[in-house]
Amino acid sequence: MIHFDTVTKGYPTQKRPALDSVSIAVEKGEFVFLVGPSGSGKSTFLRLVLKEEKPSKGRVHVAGKDLARLSNWKVPHLRRRIGCVFQDFRLLPNKNVFENVAFALEVIGKPRRFIRKVVPEVVELVGLEGKSDRMPDELSGGEQQRVAIARAFVNRPQILLADEPTGNIDPATSIGIMKVLDRINRTGTTVVMATHDAAIVDSMRKRVIELEEGHVVRDQSRGVYGQAY
Amino acid sequence: MRAQFVISEIWIGLRRNLTMTIAVITTVAISLALFGGGLLINSQVSEMRKFWDERISITIYLCNDLSPNKECEENGPATKDDTNKLEADLKAMPEVSDVQYVTAEEAWTDFQERFANNKAMVDATQEGDLPANFRVQLQDPTKYEQVQDSVQGRAGVDSISNDKNVLDQFFGLLDGLKWAALTVAFIQLAAAALLIGNTIRLSAYSRRRETGIMRLVGASNFYIQLPFLLEGAIAGLIGGIFASGFIVAANYFLLSRIQSWFNFDTQLGAGSLLYVIGVSMILGILLCTVASFLTLRRYLRV
Repeated sequence: MIHFDTVTKGYPTQKRPALDSVSIAVEKGEFVFLVGPSGSGKSTFLRLVLKEEKPSKGRVHVAGKDLARLSNWKVPHLRRRIGCVFQDFRLLPNKNVFENVAFALEVIGKPRRFIRKVVPEVVELVGLEGKSDRMPDELSGGEQQRVAIARAFVNRPQILLADEPTGNIDPATSIGIMKVLDRINRTGTTVVMATHDAAIVDSMRKRVIELEEGHVVRDQSRGVYGQAY
Repeated sequence: MRAQFVISEIWIGLRRNLTMTIAVITTVAISLALFGGGLLINSQVSEMRKFWDERISITIYLCNDLSPNKECEENGPATKDDTNKLEADLKAMPEVSDVQYVTAEEAWTDFQERFANNKAMVDATQEGDLPANFRVQLQDPTKYEQVQDSVQGRAGVDSISNDKNVLDQFFGLLDGLKWAALTVAFIQLAAAALLIGNTIRLSAYSRRRETGIMRLVGASNFYIQLPFLLEGAIAGLIGGIFASGFIVAANYFLLSRIQSWFNFDTQLGAGSLLYVIGVSMILGILLCTVASFLTLRRYLRV
């Protein structure tokens, strides 16, 4: 589903490349934790998957497509197959829960009838049934992140990228978020989650890829966060 | 594509930057009005030119006692013989369609009638000041110079005038007006383009959260840019509507008046007025859309 073949990504202002000859393969339906300290290349990895950046060297394949050969106007279609969740939720403050989730479908031109059918299903999947009319500022952080997950998942992407989704949420609530992500993973969606949260990684017992200074230093199935942190 | 979504986005965008939107609309309206005014004068002038070129006539003034011309002073006033010969020669020319002899008395009467409302001028002139002349109508008005050259300097001929010289001054004035209007219009259009760029930039900035999410969930570039482009286009359109009001007013108050003063039968038809309005509108909308597009390429990462 995601294949990195000796990918190097450097930024002009930095001497050390953010990713240095990284080869990673994530298969369909996997749940992968991407761990490592800040600046280890986790975000660069996610940005490369989304084709927000181009690798300096090496090849990136996502959902069977060679991103180097993907023309710019087809990038939106790639992104429709990838859902994204962030630490800061990125909800629209002037839209309620339903509208925030529906927004993702509206802007890719889905018919209204389809939206009215699908959005409540996803809102229920993330555990927000009955809260469709709430505005983001009436929700807790955990609930807001659920809305963000619902929006990322409503178009049934093949891949869900989560960049520190529990970074702004207390540990108890984080467990609920992880349950939602796990539920989504069980529907066959590949989930890649970048995180600092050792407790979550240790409790889930999923595949762990550890990055350090742009190198893969560990890739272990059913792994833990590691003793150093 | 969901029209309702796009329309509400445009409305929000225009309202959010209300002051900028007003500035854009005003600038666009003024520049387009000037542009349209220039076009209008242009078509009016060419219309008038055509009208007058078809009717151009030459007046050949004959020498009399008062003629300041050197040749007239040497040879004295035109003799009967000179006059007859000149008339015969003029009639023989293929370019000439009609020759009319106006005696000094007739010229005097005509002068009195024509300047009846300017008594001082009539009083200062007396019979005999005005020379006898030939009014020559031409077969082909464009060949007036040939006729003019062939009689210039003949015995008894004082001076030759044609309407063209007089009209050219008038047309020159209108031409100057046209270029002034067009120059100011283009400067204003450039200012309008910059203003639109700025407005769209503000709009893109205030909607960066929305556009960021749209990009993320895979909305097409076109769909992301469309509200901004339409925002620019609508500002251009509204400016254009105001401008067409100005243009119609200019046509009515300025050009129609000029025509009634000069008794020109060259009223611009509704067709050419619509043409001018159409060109101005299209220019306004295109300018705004292109300015928006270029701004978006810089400020809206897609």
